[in-house]
Amino acid sequence: MKTPLAVAFGVSAAIAAGAAAIPQAPPEPQGTVRLPSIQFPPAQQGPQPMLPGQGERRSMPPFMGLERDRGDAANLEPGQLPYDGRFMFARLRYVQGVPASELGGGRFGRRGFGRGQGPPWSHDYPRAERNFMKILDEITTIAPYTGPVGGAIVDIGSPDLMKFPVSYMAEAGYWTQTDEEAANLRAYLTKGGFIIFDDFRGGDWSNFEAQMKRVLPDVRMVELDISHPIFHAFFDVATLDFVQFYGRSEKALFIGAYEDNDPSKRLLFIANYNNDVGEYWEFSDTGWTPIDLSNEAYKLGVNYIVYALTH
Amino acid sequence: MFESFIELVFKYRPVVFEQGELGFSPPWPAAVAVMAVLAAMGAAVWVYLRPGRAHGWSRTALLGLRLAALAVLLFALLRPVLVVRTVEAQRNVLAVLVDGSRSMAIADLDAKPRSAFVREALGPSGALRTALERRFTIRDFEFSSTARRVADPAAMTFSGTRSYLGRSLQRTADEVAGLPVSGIVLVTDGADTSREPMADAIRALKSAGLPVFAVGLGREALDKDVQIGRVDPPATVLKGATLVAEVVISQSGYAGRIVPLVVEDEGQVVASQDVTLPPDGEPSAVRVRFTLAEPGPRVLSFRVGAQDGEQVTQNNARQALVTVQDRRERVLYVEGEPRFEMKFLRRAAAGDANLQVVMLQRTADRKFLRLDIDAPDDLAGGFPKTRDELFAYRGLVLGSIEASAFTADQQRMIADFVNQRGGGLLALGGRRAFAEGGYAGTAVADVLPVHLDDAKAGAEFVEEIKVSPTRLGQTHVATQIADTETLSAERWASLPALTTVNPVRRVKPGAALLLEGRGASPGAQVVLAYQRYGAGKVLAMPVQDSWMWQMHATIAAEDMTHETLWRRLLRWLVDGVPERVSAAVDRDRVEAGDAVTVTALVRDGGFLGVNDAAVSATVTGPTGEGRDVPMRFIVDRDGEYRASFVAEQDGLYEIAVAAKRGDEAVGTATAFVRAAPDDGEYFDAAMRATLLKRIAEDTGGRFYTAANASSLADDITYLGRGVTVVQEKDLWDMPIVLALLVGLVGGEWFLRRRVGLP
Repeated sequence: MKTPLAVAFGVSAAIAAGAAAIPQAPPEPQGTVRLPSIQFPPAQQGPQPMLPGQGERRSMPPFMGLERDRGDAANLEPGQLPYDGRFMFARLRYVQGVPASELGGGRFGRRGFGRGQGPPWSHDYPRAERNFMKILDEITTIAPYTGPVGGAIVDIGSPDLMKFPVSYMAEAGYWTQTDEEAANLRAYLTKGGFIIFDDFRGGDWSNFEAQMKRVLPDVRMVELDISHPIFHAFFDVATLDFVQFYGRSEKALFIGAYEDNDPSKRLLFIANYNNDVGEYWEFSDTGWTPIDLSNEAYKLGVNYIVYALTH
Repeated sequence: MFESFIELVFKYRPVVFEQGELGFSPPWPAAVAVMAVLAAMGAAVWVYLRPGRAHGWSRTALLGLRLAALAVLLFALLRPVLVVRTVEAQRNVLAVLVDGSRSMAIADLDAKPRSAFVREALGPSGALRTALERRFTIRDFEFSSTARRVADPAAMTFSGTRSYLGRSLQRTADEVAGLPVSGIVLVTDGADTSREPMADAIRALKSAGLPVFAVGLGREALDKDVQIGRVDPPATVLKGATLVAEVVISQSGYAGRIVPLVVEDEGQVVASQDVTLPPDGEPSAVRVRFTLAEPGPRVLSFRVGAQDGEQVTQNNARQALVTVQDRRERVLYVEGEPRFEMKFLRRAAAGDANLQVVMLQRTADRKFLRLDIDAPDDLAGGFPKTRDELFAYRGLVLGSIEASAFTADQQRMIADFVNQRGGGLLALGGRRAFAEGGYAGTAVADVLPVHLDDAKAGAEFVEEIKVSPTRLGQTHVATQIADTETLSAERWASLPALTTVNPVRRVKPGAALLLEGRGASPGAQVVLAYQRYGAGKVLAMPVQDSWMWQMHATIAAEDMTHETLWRRLLRWLVDGVPERVSAAVDRDRVEAGDAVTVTALVRDGGFLGVNDAAVSATVTGPTGEGRDVPMRFIVDRDGEYRASFVAEQDGLYEIAVAAKRGDEAVGTATAFVRAAPDDGEYFDAAMRATLLKRIAEDTGGRFYTAANASSLADDITYLGRGVTVVQEKDLWDMPIVLALLVGLVGGEWFLRRRVGLP
C-alpha cells in the first residue's frame, strides 16, 4: 500500500510541522455577504440527449508535458459498504437520463459522460478518495474508512445520503436532478449535511447555480476569502491562489453559502469553482504532479472535512 | 351514648369507676350480714335438695337462682362504695386555650364554622362555660403563634395565620404556674404549623402535672375537598429550562373527576394540565411540565379550581419560589476524533443561549481545534492541567478519546471534578471510549455509572440498537423529547436505531438507567445511565451516533427531537452544580417577623472549603433598602458561613452574599426568601384527632369532640389536678343491683311455676 502513496506520505511529512503546533483560535467568519465576482462564459453547446450506460474512455490531455493513463475503468457499482459509524467518503451520484422536462435549467446540454471518462459524477473515482482517505487517516485522528473502494457512492435522492453528513460531488457542471432529489438534498443540507462541490469551471457555473437554486431557492452564494475558518480548520492555508490542474488559467474561486444566509452560522457547502482538487488527490501517488500542488489540494480537503465534522 | 347507658345502669359515668377504688362501708357489723345470708343460703339448699321437690336440671337451676339472689343481697348489705379523689369546687383554676387561627373558620361542623362551637359553648352564657364555672375559676387564652389571655373567647376574630400548638400549650402552662390548676382545656382543630416537635411540649406538661383536655373541632375527614398537598419544583433553574414539578393532589368527594391543574408564574399561566382526581384519601402525584422564560425570583402558584360544594378552597393552591437564572453554563467537551456526534451536539447546544459548550477537538496528535472559547489562550495547552482550570467549567463531556490521552493526574482531576467540585460528567460512546478506550481500572472508571466489562469489544464490533426509555426514563426530565409523557413515549418509539461500539450492559449499584437499547445480541445495551458520585453526577451514554436522530431519512428537517434531547441532557448535566460561593436560606417562605438563617459555602478554586474568607450578606427587602449582615464561619464544616436576619414585613428579600479572601474576590451568590402570611393550616385541614388524642392521653387528660364535650366539666372533676378531696360514692343503690335482685327472684318464681312447684 505504501508504494502508490509514497508521494502522498511525502505530503504528510511536508505538512507535519503544521500539524504539530496548536493553532490560535480561528477567526470569526467574515461579517458581510459578498457575491462572487465571476464572469461566466456563454454556454457552448445546445441540449443533447443522454445515453444511459454510455461509458467509453477518453484520451487524457497532456499535463506539464506528461502523458498519463488512469489505468482500468473503475467499477461504479461496488455495492453497499456496511455502515459502522466511521467516517466514510461519500461521493454523490446524480442520475443519468433525467428527462429534459424535469431539468431545472442550466447546462443540461453537457450532461452525460463529459470528456469520455465515465459518468461525470464518477470522475477521479475511486483513486481520489482512496488516496485522500489514507492521507486523512495518516495525519488526523479521524480514522476513516480506507478500504479499496475509497468510500461510498450515494444517490442524491437516496435516504442513505443522510448517513453521510459530509459528501462530495464531482463535475457539478453536469449535475442534474429531479424535484424529489432536490428535496432530498434540501433536507440533507438543512438537517446538517455538508457538500463539497468540485471539478467544475467556466460555463459550468450556470448549471451549478440553477441546480443549487432548485435545492435552496433562497440561497445566497458568496465567495469565501482566506479568513474563513474553513481554511484554518486543520491547516492554516496561506493563500487561495490555487494552481489548477492541466495548467488551466481561470482563477480558482471558493464559493459557499451559509445556513439561513447568516455568515455567523455554518457553511452548507463549499464549491471549488474553476478548480479540481480531486484531480490532485487522484494523481498524487503517480509523480505526475508536483508535491507542493498535491499538498495544497490535500490541505483544502482535510480542512473541508475537519470543518464539516466540527461545524 | 355508651357513657349515658353506663350512667343509667351503674349510677356513675365510667370515669368515676376508672378513677375510684372499690371499698365496703357496711352500716352494721359485716359478720352479721354474712352469717344471715349464709344461713339463708343453707336453708335454700336444704329445701331444694329434699326428695320429691324437684329433679335434674330444674333443681340445679332453681338452687342457682336462689343462691345468686342471696349473693347480690349480701353485696348490697355490705354497702359497697367507690373511693374517689375529686377536685374541690371553686378552689381550682382551669385554663381554657382556644385556637384563634383562620382554619377555625372552616365550616365542617353541621355546615357551621368550627369557631361557632367556641361562641356557643364557651360564650358568657354557653352551656360548657356555665358547667365549668360551676366548679372552676376559668382563665381564657387564645393562641396562634403563641398563647395570650383573652377576656371573652366569644369575641375572638379567628384571624391568626399560624397554629403553634406545642409552644402555645407551654406558654399557657407558664401563665398558670404557681396556681392550683386542674388542667388545660384545649379547643382547636389540631392544626399545627410549627416545625417544632410536639414531644417537647408534652414532656413539659407531664412534668408540670398538667392534664390537657382536648376538644377537637371539625371532622376527621372532610366530605368535599381538593388539596394540593405538596409541590417540589427545583429551587434554581436555568432560563428557558423545562421544569417537571411533582404535584401531590388529594381529595375527598370528587373521585374520578377531571380538573385542570394550572401553574401560574406571577399571574401568568405557564401550564395547564388535566388531572383525574384520585380515590378518596389517596394522594396522587402528578407531574406537570412548564418552562420559565423570565429570569429572577419567580413565585409560582400551582392551583386546582374550587369545586362545587368544596369545604376548604384555600388548600387548592400552593406557592413555590423558584429562582430563574439567566447565565451561560460552561461545559467543556473534549473529543478525541473529529466526528459527527460532536458536530451535531454542538449544533444542538448552539441554539440554546444558556449553554456554552466549549469544544476541545483533537484533530491530530497533540493538535487541538478550540471552538467557542472565551479568550484566545483558553485551553491553549490542550486539556486543563490544573484543578482551577478544569473546575471553572460546570460540565465535562468526554467524547471518543482514549484514557491514555490524559495523564494519571488529569484522570484523577476528572474524577475530582465530579466528586469534589460537584460538576456533571458525561461520557459518550465511541471507538476510544469506555473499555475500548482503555478506561478500565482508571480513576475515571471509578466514577462512571456503568461497569466496564473486562473484555473489550473487538475492532469490528458494531451493533445496531433500537433505543427505548426505561420506566424511569419515561418520566425523567432529561429524556422528555415531546410536550407530554404520552407524546414523548410515542416519539421514542418512532426514532431510528443507533449503533454502538461499546458493549456496556451493566449499571453499577446505585446508578439509574434511563435509556436502553436492544439489538441482535442478547440483553439490553446501556444507552443512558447516571449516578450521583460525591458532590456531582455522572452520565454514561455509550452510543456513537445520536446524530442519526437529526439526520436520518425518517426525521423531518424541521424536527427538533435531537436538539431538545441534547439541550435537556446538557442542562440536566449542569443542574445543581455549585459555584465557588453559594448561598441558601433555611426556608423559602417565612412570616413577617420571622428570623431567616442564611448559609453560605465558600470554596477555593479547587473547591475546598475556605475558612478565612470575609463573607458578608447584603439583605435587600421589599422597600429596596439594603443592609449588610456579616456572616460568621461555622466551625462544624469547612467553608460554611452563617448569618440570620429578621424579615420585618411581607415581600421579597434578596440576600446577596459576597466573599473575599484578602484582596481577592472569591465570588458572589444570591438567595431569595419571601415573607408572606402562612396558609399552612388550610392544608390537611380536617380535624387532627390523632395528634390531639396523643397530647391528651400522654398528659393524663381526655380527648373530646364537639358532640361529647358536655361531659368535660364532670370528667375534669375526677381527672383534674389541684386542690382535691376524697369522696365515697355509694354503689348499693345502683340500678343494676335492684335489677339483678328482681330478675333473679322473678326468674326463680317463673321456673318454679313451670315445673309445678308452688
